[in-house]
This record gives sequence, C-alpha cells and structure tokens, in this order.
Amino acid sequence: MLMLHLPPLKKAQRLVALAALLLLAVLISPTAADGSRIFLQAGNLTDILRQVSLIGIISLSMTFVILTGGIDLSVGSILAFSTAVAAMFLTRGYTTHMAVAIAAAVAASTLAGLLNGVVIATTGIQPFIVTLASMIGVRGLAKWLTSNQNIDIGFGRDLAAEFAAAFREKAVVIGAYALAAAVSWTVLARTVFGRHVRAVGDNEKAALYAGLPIRSTKIAAYLLSGLFTGCAGVLYAAENHQGNPNAGVAYELDAIAAVVIGGTRLSGGQGSISGTIIGTLIMGVLTNMLRLNNVDSNVEMMIKAVIIVLAVAVQRERNTN
Amino acid sequence: MKRAKLLPVLGGTALSLALFLSSCAPAGVPTGDPPKRQFVVAFSQANNAEPYRAAQNAFLTKLLAAQPDLKLVISDAQQDNSKQVAQVETFIRQKPDLLIVAPNERAALTAVMGQAMEAKIPVICLERDILQPNYTSYVHSDNVAIGRLAGQFIVDQLTKKYGKPRGNVVAMRGLLGVEGEINRDRGAREILDRYPEIKIVADPVADWIQAKAKDRMTEVLRAQPRIDVVYGHNDPMAIGAYLAAKELGREKEMSFVGVDGLGGTAGGIRKVLDGILAATFVYPLCVDKAAEIALRLLHDPGFRPEKEYLLQSVMVTAANAASMYETYSIPGML
Amino acid sequence: MHNVSLPEHLQAVAITKRYGGVCALNAASFSLRAGEVHALMGENGAGKSTLARILAGSTPADGGSISLDGAPVRIASPLDAQRLGIGIVYQELDLFPHLTLAENIVIGNLHFPEGQWIAPSRMRAFCAPFLDQVGLHMDPFLPAAALSIGQRQLLVIARALSMDARILLLDEPTSSLFDDAAERLFALIATLKSRGVSIVYVSHKMDEIFRICDRATVLRDGATAGTVEVPHTTPAELIRLMVGRELQLAPRGMSSPASRNSEEPLLTASNLCTAKLKNVSFDLYRGEVLGIAGLVGSGRSALGAALTGMDRITSGTLTHAGAIGLLPEDRRLQGLMMRMSVLENATLAVLGRLSRFGWIRRQEEQSELAPVMRRLALTCPSLAAPVSQLSGGNQQKVLLARWLLRNPAILFLDDPTRGIDIAAKQDIYRLIQELAAVGTGLILVSSELPELLRCCDRILVLHEGRLAARFAAAEATQEKIMNAATNVAANAAQPC
Repeated sequence: MLMLHLPPLKKAQRLVALAALLLLAVLISPTAADGSRIFLQAGNLTDILRQVSLIGIISLSMTFVILTGGIDLSVGSILAFSTAVAAMFLTRGYTTHMAVAIAAAVAASTLAGLLNGVVIATTGIQPFIVTLASMIGVRGLAKWLTSNQNIDIGFGRDLAAEFAAAFREKAVVIGAYALAAAVSWTVLARTVFGRHVRAVGDNEKAALYAGLPIRSTKIAAYLLSGLFTGCAGVLYAAENHQGNPNAGVAYELDAIAAVVIGGTRLSGGQGSISGTIIGTLIMGVLTNMLRLNNVDSNVEMMIKAVIIVLAVAVQRERNTN
Repeated sequence: MKRAKLLPVLGGTALSLALFLSSCAPAGVPTGDPPKRQFVVAFSQANNAEPYRAAQNAFLTKLLAAQPDLKLVISDAQQDNSKQVAQVETFIRQKPDLLIVAPNERAALTAVMGQAMEAKIPVICLERDILQPNYTSYVHSDNVAIGRLAGQFIVDQLTKKYGKPRGNVVAMRGLLGVEGEINRDRGAREILDRYPEIKIVADPVADWIQAKAKDRMTEVLRAQPRIDVVYGHNDPMAIGAYLAAKELGREKEMSFVGVDGLGGTAGGIRKVLDGILAATFVYPLCVDKAAEIALRLLHDPGFRPEKEYLLQSVMVTAANAASMYETYSIPGML
Repeated sequence: MHNVSLPEHLQAVAITKRYGGVCALNAASFSLRAGEVHALMGENGAGKSTLARILAGSTPADGGSISLDGAPVRIASPLDAQRLGIGIVYQELDLFPHLTLAENIVIGNLHFPEGQWIAPSRMRAFCAPFLDQVGLHMDPFLPAAALSIGQRQLLVIARALSMDARILLLDEPTSSLFDDAAERLFALIATLKSRGVSIVYVSHKMDEIFRICDRATVLRDGATAGTVEVPHTTPAELIRLMVGRELQLAPRGMSSPASRNSEEPLLTASNLCTAKLKNVSFDLYRGEVLGIAGLVGSGRSALGAALTGMDRITSGTLTHAGAIGLLPEDRRLQGLMMRMSVLENATLAVLGRLSRFGWIRRQEEQSELAPVMRRLALTCPSLAAPVSQLSGGNQQKVLLARWLLRNPAILFLDDPTRGIDIAAKQDIYRLIQELAAVGTGLILVSSELPELLRCCDRILVLHEGRLAARFAAAEATQEKIMNAATNVAANAAQPC
C-alpha cells in the first residue's frame, strides 16, 4: 500500500516541506570567510525572493487559470511581448513618461490574455490548444515587432535607463510580488469572482445548472494571466536592461510546476494561492541551495524532477468512496 | 496511517538529498583555514548545450586542473538571462577569487557583473560585450573579421573554379538578432558585395542547429539548380547543409565553409580533414586567454591586465587541418 | 426460502475500513449462501456500498477476513474478484463513455479470449447474448455515451454477466431504472438465481426486497445490525434495524385541487418542442405539485432542460412568471462542486445578493444559510466541510438549499430522492409540501410511482418525448401510469 495521502494536513504539509528544505539549506550551506552561513545572509535570502518574483507573479495568475480547469501556455511569449513593448516605448521616444510605457506593455499583455480568454470561452476549444497557438503567435508578434532584435536599455540618464534603475531595485521587484500575492489571495478567498473560478473548475456542468457566468469567469482568468504576466514582463525588461523577444522561453512550465507543487489540481477546482507561493519558494530555495553548493546543473534538473513528482504524490487526493 | 507515512518520506528525501549533496559539494568552497591559500575560480557559462560552450568548459577545466591551488566551479544558465543573473548573484555570495562570465546576452548581465566588481571580485568577461565596462578584462574575438576572412575565402574559391569571381552562394544564418549572426553575416557581405557576379541566392535561418540547417538546405536545393558555395555561420549548420546536399546527390557540386573550428571528432576541423568542409575559421574559445589572465591575477599581485584582449581567428583548410586538429583537440573530449 | 440449509458460500468477518478519521465499517460481518438473493440494507453512510466495494476488490479493507467456500481468500484487486467469480455493478456505473458498448464489455474481461485479434465480429458474438439477456437491444458499436443512465446500468450488468460471475453484487441497481427495466432486472435475477448465482442486492426499496430477496442483512453505522429471513420479517422491522427506531411515515396532506380556471397559471407551456420533446403542453399553478412520470429517456429530464433554457426550444411557446430553479437529476455530475464546502455550494447561485462590489459579505452568507439549513434538517460536520464528506441525502439538501436561497417561483426537481436514505426522503417530501403551501409551483420527476402518487396534485406521463397522459392524483394508480408510460399506442390525453 504505497498510499501517501492526508488531505486535511495539506497546508501544514507544504509548510513542513518548505521548512525542512530551509533547514537542509542552512545545514549544508557553505560558510563565508567570517564563518557565517552564506545561505542565511540577508543578501542571499533577498536574492532568492527577487529571483522567484517573476515566475512567482506569473504562477499566481496561473493558479486562477488552472483552478478554472484551464492552462495558459502563452505566458512566456506574453512576457517577451511585454518586454518588447515596454522597451520600444522607452527607447524610441514614443513617450516621455515611464508610466505610459509600463501601461502600454501591461495593456498589450492584458489584451493578449483577453484574446485567449475570449477564444476559449466562446469557441469551447481546449485551453491547451488555444494557448499553445497564442504561445506561438504572440512569440511571432514580439519577434516581428522588434525585427528579431533585442532592444537594449542603456545605463545612462535617459528615460529607459531611469526606468531600469527604478524597477530593477530588489525592494521594488519583491514588493511587486508581495503585492500581487496579497491581491491574488484576497481575490480568490474573498470575492465572488474567486468563488466562481473554483466552482467552474470543480464542476462546469453544475456551474451551468446553477446559472453561474462561466464565460466571463474564464475570460477574466485569462485576462488576469495576461495582466500579471505583463507586469512580470515590465520587471524583466528592467532587470535585464532589454526588451527581448526571445525572453521567457519555458516560463510557462516553471509557473505550472510552482502551481502544482503548491497543491493545485491540474484539472481544476482545488488549490490555493498560499500553496502556489510555497511552491514557488520551494523551487527558489532549492535552486539557491544547489547553486550555493555548486551542484552540477544537470543533477539540479534531476533533483527538481524528483521534487515535483514527490510534492504532487504527497498531496494527492485520497480516493473517496 | 497516512500521517505516519509522510514524515518518513519527507525525512528520507531530505536525508538522501543531504547525503547526495554532501557527496557532490566540492570541497573547494572556502570553509576554514586551509594550510595553503586555495583559490576559487567561478565560471558562469551561458549554456552547456552548444558544442562551442562545451568545448570552452572542457578546455578551461583542463587548463585549470593543472593548478593544484585552484578550484574551478561552473554554472550553466541554460540560455536564460534571469537564470544567469541569479547564478552570478549566488556566486557573489560565495565570494570566489575570480569570476569569469560568458554572458548569455549583453544587456541582461551588465548590472550584476557591476555588482561583482563592487564586491571586489575580479571579473573576466568572455566573448560577448556588455553595456558598461563592468569587468577587469574583456576577452573576445571579432566576428566581423571572421566574416571577412570567410568572404575572401569564398571569392578565392569561386575565382579558382570559374577563372573570375562569379557564382551562387547560400548563407546559413544563425539565430537572428545574435551578435555572432549579425557580424559573421556582415563581414562576409562586405567582401562578397564587391563582386556583382557573386550572388547570395538564399539565406535561410537555421538557428545554429545542424538538423534545422539540413531541413532548410533541402528546401534551398529544391529551388536552386546551381549552388557553388554554402557559407554556414557555424560549422554544424555547414555540416547540416552538406548532409542535405549529399542526400540529394549534389554534394560534389558545391563546397562548404563553416565557422567555429572546434577540435575533437565532432568539431569542424575534423570535418575539414574528412573533406566535408572546404574551410572553417577558428572562433577562439577565449578561455585559454582567460585562464592565463586568471593565473597571473591570482599569483602576481602586481599584475595589471589589459582592459581588452582581441584574439585573432585562424583559417583551417586541408593544408593545415592536421596540425590544427592536434592544437585544438582536448584530450578526453570527443 | 427453501435453501435455508445451504452452506455459507462467501463469508466476510469483522471487516473494518476507515477513511481518515471516519469509520465507514466497524467490524461488519456478512455471509452469503449459494444461490440466494441477499439484500444488503442500511441508510446512506451505513457502509453498505463500502462493504460491496471491499468484496469486489476495488477498495482495500483495513481489517477483517473473507473466505469463499470455507477457504480464506485475498481480494486485493478487481481482477482478483473477477478470478474468484465476483462481479459488481456500481451505483455510479463505471463505464468508458467514449468506448463502444462492445469494448466496454470486453475490456479487462478475463473471459474474452486473450491474445487473439479483437475483430468486430468476435466482439459482437461475445457480447450479443449478454446484451440480449439484459434487454439492451442496441448496436454494440454505439459509444456508451449515447446511452441514457438507465441503459448504461443495463450495460454494466451485461458486463458483469459476461464475466461469468458466480457472485453478483448489485449496488442500488434500480435507483435510476424505471419499472419496466426493473421488472426485466428482477426476471434476470430470478434466472441467475436458478442457475446458482448468488446475488447481493444493495437497496433500501422495501417492495423490491420483499419481492426478490431471501435474506436481508442490515448495516447501521458501519456495523451489522442484524440478518433476517425476508419471509419472516416486516418492513417495519427492517426500518427499525436500519434507523434504530420506529419511523413514522408522515401522511401526505393533499392540497385540494381547487378549480384553477379562474387563476393565472405560473407557467404555461404550449406545443413545446426541443430536440427531445414533441408538442408538450401543460400549465403549472401556484402551490401546485405537478408530477412527471416516464421511463428513463422519455423526455422527463429534457423537460427540465427546456424549461430552464438549457435546451433550445425549436417551436411552441413557454411563458412563466418568475424564475425557474432546476434540481438536476445527477447531483454529483450536474449539481455539486464536490471539492467546495457546504457553505460555498449552497450560496453559489446567490452570491450577487450576498456581495458588495464583488466582495463576499461572509457574515450575511452564513446568516442567510442558517435558517435554510434548519428548514432542510441539513446536518454537516461544519459549514467549511467539503460536500464530498456528506451522505447522499445531505448532499441533496445542500443543492436544495442553493435553490431555496434563490427562492424561485417555480422549482423543477428531477428525481430528488434518487439513492438517498429514508429519513432524508421524508425531509424532502416535507419540504415539497411546505414550498407548495407558500405558493411555489413544483414539478417533481420521479422513478418511484408511489412517491409521485403521494406527493403530487397532478401527474403528467411522458413517452418518447410526447405527453402520453395526464391524471389528477386522486384518480391515478400505478397501473394507469405504467400503461401510459409504456404503451406505444398512447392514450388520448385525458382532461383534468
């Protein structure tokens, strides 16, 4: 009987797993010249938070999408699109206010998300297929817009450089993630929309019979995904000093991994924002721990594979009845 | 029953992970007071997937292994800017004695390499320039110059073939927007454009990848009845084009020119020896120079390195391939 | 009856099963003689389905032992059960909807010769006799999804028969069958019994048990409350064993069908046509309980879909005053969000009212639900408990709560008592009367004719999408309804 299940303790479980990982990271952390553990340095801990913030923000909105029973494969491409739009506005003199550039990038990304949602909700084509198509299409759009060129953001005193300097600040990036997490948690737990998201993913047919607004709920979930991904794209452009049409390749998979490690059912209906945050942190701490110990990056991938399967196996739903 | 099962599972995982890690963790990270000064050199590599990068890793490992007081750690950013930034940040926490960075993309790594400099870690930037001079030394080669060399070689080939510079050329382009692709293309065109009877009849994009080059070349072969030279922006693409031509029985009709000139059995020099490529142009691995600078920096406190080192390419043809193969092949690497 | 002296064929002793902290079975024992029909009874949550699943190898027991003809056996998987000759027909009908009837029968079937080419002709030949036995005269290469719930049940029974089961476990097999299909099943059970097959019949329908069962074992709270010889017991005795006390069946306070002529109907359907309905016309008045009888697939659920706008009305008119609520036929598939809590399920359709600017007002959510729960006698461990932890009866009440909060003028109840225990049924009957008393118009679909006769003012009978007959409750009998529901030469609609 290889059954590993305990639903009532899921949340505690995830925290225990994260705590165990943190403990392990502290125990095996190499030490600095002064004998302190490098892992525990404030700089290192905030490094982790900053490093997970972009995927973290995307995985928050991915949680909503997955809760509706959908999936959004286009987030990596939308992120690239957002970086490209932001950098174009900043470097090509379209505007003199960085807020306009940010708004343009976020609005463009939100529009891409809206398009995903509308197509999914009105045609009934599976989200996997629709977002696979937009993953390809939006990537093409980003490359076309930029003529395949990275749009570099310099280090001078111009608008673009000021933008990058402001938005690559650790505090700003981590703050943005924290804000997005708080908003996501509140929306899912406290609003009618959040309740509808879970209901639609749990049992779409029953949602239909109960007269719930299934279409607009789905559209809103993908729109949110576009919006959050657009914000992550703005942060990416600042952090990497560029608009990059090739950015974000395979980010959708990292985001999905964080969501499922956080205990959200891939088929929808069950999951939580807190779980996703913990899932994101688990992956971030794990990466940092392995890097600090200079573990071979191929081995790193193998360990992550084991962690993903293990995390989902431990949280598997028990078979009722 | 369920609750009781979880803890052993988690505990077991943690334990095995810990054991595994302790066996993996190199002892070279400074942990105490070693009897002799032990130096750590950290190398942040853009990716491990390209043969050129793998050769860099192997060559640098070989060069530094000869130094008993020196420990090399390499991280692989898997072609992801954010990953590489994170890895460099982690290196900064570890305070290595020297940091070598092969940036995935120029803008993305600029700031974090500046942080390394602020942390008083000497930084050697390899091959790809960054936006600000946030490095101790920059070691690179010149892709435009390589392009020009290749262009000139093509002109000579065609002149030999027809008595004057004329003929049809196919260019196999790498990933668009990348510096190597832009400059290898630009350099070659600078030369070829001088001869109106030399035509570039097709320039498909194959993203540096041999398999894609074979597919793209197949299409070109269907469309072009006569091709004289294929110029691959790297050796694998030239080889992919060769395979496509061979499949259609047309490989004798044209000659193939590549760039990179790696050693080893899979490298471009071997392909020149085998008669597949007419020529390849060595794109310097740069790590030999980096190793040289590193050793002097660490061992000689008075050493002030140059801000920039430009490494020259070497043309490899059938005439010098055998000796070049000796020089550029690394034992233990295929 | 005459086989009292037969030896025990299958014996399960001290079977225990826990789900988390809940003890589904607590040292329950059960024994089955060869060639008998043995009723396994109990209220929902008593553990009878769990016991059936353990005997069929689909759920592992935590403790206890099982022996077959005196030799201990281990039933660790459904395949083990199949080898031992134990077949099961689940209440939820474990079918592959996208596979054909034939494929559903041969898949995993040890009696379909292995290692040979699965030619369509071979599948047809293998399946035909079993489909025939259960009266499913259909093309074996139709997908199972094309079948109605009742027909799917027949298919699962055919599959169990094709596995040559010597012991057949039927888990509430008639809960969705109409009487003619049930009759066919009873005849089938008699045939099987005469061939020496032992049958475990999980049910709480008294009339069936007294018709076809030899013995009955009653489970209460996961333990065996007693085993009785059916010919020597009474329904009252069985109910006492099930609920641990005598149950008073409340008499139906039949509202007098006053003259409706002067009154505006709440709902008028005239010549209503959809893909599944043809020219259905009727009125529904305030405070009326209108029964809908008909075989599975006769259009009774399609009527609900038409009234609530799920199915497109192709011709005819529908006018109604006020909202129409629909309690769907299958509460798991069409009604409940199984992973959401009692509270969330109940308030789902009225969140607009319980929120301000999209924010849920959680105090009001709870305070609005509380009186409805009391009215329904809905019991649950907590409002935050997922509905999957509730019994079938309480799950149905959660769905009813959803509609009561909506307070619709018209409520369409599609087989609301299917598969729920007696006490919960009583609560639902009481609620129907209370709603009618305050003027709600109710349409009640049911597979159980006595239920319709007890609860309704008028009864409409559907046959193949058409209105076959209409009766005033006072003049209706089970016989008349059955005739109308099955007779192809439909009776002329009688006025009432």
